[in-house]
Amino acid sequence: MFRTPLLIATALAVAFGLGILSSVYALRATVGFGAIALGPWTAFPAAQTVDADPYAKAHRARDGRLLLGGAEGLTFTAATDSDNRRLVANCRYEIAGITPPARLWTLHAADRNGNPLPGANPDVPTGLNAWSALRGADGDFSIRIASSAMPGNWLAIPEGRAPFLLVMTLLDTPTAGSSGVIDLAMPGITRLDCADA
Amino acid sequence: MRNLLYAIAIGLVGAALLHIVIILSLPSFTGRDAYTRVQAFGEANRFFPLASEGNTLAPVNDDPAMKTAVCTFSVENGPIRLFADGEVPFWSLAVYDEASNEVFSMNDRTSVSGALDTLIATPIQLIAIRKAVPAELEQSILVEMRGEEGYAVLRTFVPTQSRQEAASAFLADASCEPLTADQ
Repeated sequence: MFRTPLLIATALAVAFGLGILSSVYALRATVGFGAIALGPWTAFPAAQTVDADPYAKAHRARDGRLLLGGAEGLTFTAATDSDNRRLVANCRYEIAGITPPARLWTLHAADRNGNPLPGANPDVPTGLNAWSALRGADGDFSIRIASSAMPGNWLAIPEGRAPFLLVMTLLDTPTAGSSGVIDLAMPGITRLDCADA
Repeated sequence: MRNLLYAIAIGLVGAALLHIVIILSLPSFTGRDAYTRVQAFGEANRFFPLASEGNTLAPVNDDPAMKTAVCTFSVENGPIRLFADGEVPFWSLAVYDEASNEVFSMNDRTSVSGALDTLIATPIQLIAIRKAVPAELEQSILVEMRGEEGYAVLRTFVPTQSRQEAASAFLADASCEPLTADQ
């Protein structure tokens, strides 16, 4: 007697449950298609354009960020180090190498939602850029990321064990339009050591 | 049992349909997309510098080495002229339509004289302007707007604390006003 309503209820529950869960999961998991991945760094050069795929459009509408235009630059984000381990605040990291061709670059740490992280106190360096970083004789740089002070280029992150993201923005760069002719490389992220890991 | 499998199969088809509907329709009713957030500043035709942090709907500056200002505008009643000039090492501009799709972007190296001087207009307004270019628009970059409403984002690079003042002044002096005939 209750079999037909029960079957309809099952079908509706499956449809709404899976439909909503899969949408939320898809929007959390990725910014969309068309990513450029260089080691641990990923960027979405077409996310702000009218040609962006529906997932990218839904994601950016939910996120509400002011994205960089094509002539402005390209934002690379890293959630893991070069060995694919998650970036966590109780470890120390080193970024070494050079950036793809760009006029300027900026680097900062952000929480999992992309908001910039403050340092442990207001005077520590929470951002580095092409002008403030010290370089080697051949133009490469090495940046240490730690919550306590480090020699050389130091990017401060808060104390704790929280996972974080590294955000590197290349300003005025041909990287977005690159068709793979130029061999692009982003600096590698090496884990140095961890406190009570 | 066969009926149950049938119901689950129907459910899966429904889930796929619902997934597509949600993804496609989400941009129109999130209530916190970039255009809605930019509109939270209230006033149009004015560049508002973004705060570095805050819990309001208005967007925040998300790069410590950059300063950003936004301006909402409508080209319905005439073209909008964007102008900014100052001693900053880098600036860039992006113009978006109301669906937050990029219409136009540029930086200081792609400008005519190092200063931002851009006119945003509908295709029809542009035809009239191109027929007889007014003297004050000879150096301007003319941009064809998609739709009528949109917003402009002006960013500048602040490499050191000492450049903070010049960057703030650059953004504060930037104008985003309707083009008036007597200008």
